Amino acid sequence: MRTNNDTMAETASWFDPFTRWMLIIMFAILAIIFIAAKYMDMHSMLGGGTDDTVNAMASSAAHVKAHPFINLPGDAQVGAFSVANFFAGLIVGHNWKKLFEGEEKD
Amino acid sequence: MHIEDGILPPRAWVFWYGATILFIIPGIREIKRRVRENLSYKPFLAMVGVAVFVISAMHLPVPVTGSCSHPCGTPLAAIIIGPFATAVISAIVLFFQALFLGHGGITTIGANDFSMGIVGGISGYLCWRLLRRFNSPLWLAGGIAGFVGDVMTYLTSAFELSLSLHGHIPLVRQWMIFFAGYGPTQLPLAIAEAVFTAAVLQVMYNRRPDLLPGVTDRKRSVKIGKIEMER
Repeated sequence: MRTNNDTMAETASWFDPFTRWMLIIMFAILAIIFIAAKYMDMHSMLGGGTDDTVNAMASSAAHVKAHPFINLPGDAQVGAFSVANFFAGLIVGHNWKKLFEGEEKD
Repeated sequence: MHIEDGILPPRAWVFWYGATILFIIPGIREIKRRVRENLSYKPFLAMVGVAVFVISAMHLPVPVTGSCSHPCGTPLAAIIIGPFATAVISAIVLFFQALFLGHGGITTIGANDFSMGIVGGISGYLCWRLLRRFNSPLWLAGGIAGFVGDVMTYLTSAFELSLSLHGHIPLVRQWMIFFAGYGPTQLPLAIAEAVFTAAVLQVMYNRRPDLLPGVTDRKRSVKIGKIEMER
C-alpha cells in the first residue's frame, strides 16, 4: 500500500525549478556583495552605513548625542538579524504556501 | 533614513507623528476594505510586510562611495498592497527594527515612516499609475517607481533633518548637505531597487495577475483571488 511519504519521496526533488532559481538569485546577490566588499577592503574603505554618517552629521549640527533605541554591540547585531530573518523566511513561506500552493499543484 | 533618537527636538518628532497618523488612519481603512474584497489580500499583506522589514534592513556595500545603505521596498509595497496600507506596515516594520535591531529610534518612527512608508510609497505609486495610464510597459513603470520612491525617501529624510536643524544656514543648503550624506551611496541602490521592483512586478503579473489590482480587470482579479483561496 502506497503512503503519502512514498508519494512525496517520488515527487520531491532536491533541486526543483523553484529552489534552483532561488539559489541562483541568492548566489548572484552574494557574489555582488562579496566583490563590492573585497574592492572596498582592498582600498581601505570603512563601509559604514550612510544612516550612521548622516545621524552623526545631524548630531553634530544639533549639538546633541544621537542614539538608536537599542544598541547591539558586535556580533549581537548579526544574531538579531539572523533570528529576525529566519522567522521572516518562515512567515513568507507560510503565506507563500497559502497563495501559490494551488498553482504549484497544477 | 533611520533617524535615531535624540536628534529631532520634541516639537519636530511630535509633528511627524501627527503627519504620519493622517496617513495611517486611511491605511487601516484601506486594509479592511481590501481584505473584504480579496481573500488573498491578508496573506499577501503579511508577506509584503515581512519583505519590507527584510529589504529595509538589508545593508548593501556600494564600492563607488565606500559605504553601505539599504533599499526601501516601499514603492513595490505601495503598488501591490496600496499606498496607505504601506504607511501602516512601514510603521510596524520601523517599530520592530528600532526595538530589536537597533535601527532608528522610537521617537522618530513618525519621521522615518513619513519618509519611507508615506513619501517613498506614494511617490512610487504615483509614478506607477501615471506611467501605466500612458500604457508604459509594466517593467518600465515598476522600475521608475522603484527608483523614484527610493530617492524620494532619502530626500525626505534629509529634509526632515534640515527643517529642524538648519539654524542660520539656508534650509535648502542644509537639506542638500544632509542629502549629500545619503545620495552618492543611495543612487546605485535606487537603480538596484528599480531592477528589483520591475522584476518582481513582471514575475507576479505573469504568474498571479489577480494580486495586482489596477493592472488587470478588477472584477476578474477578485474572482481569481477567491478561486485561488478556495483551493
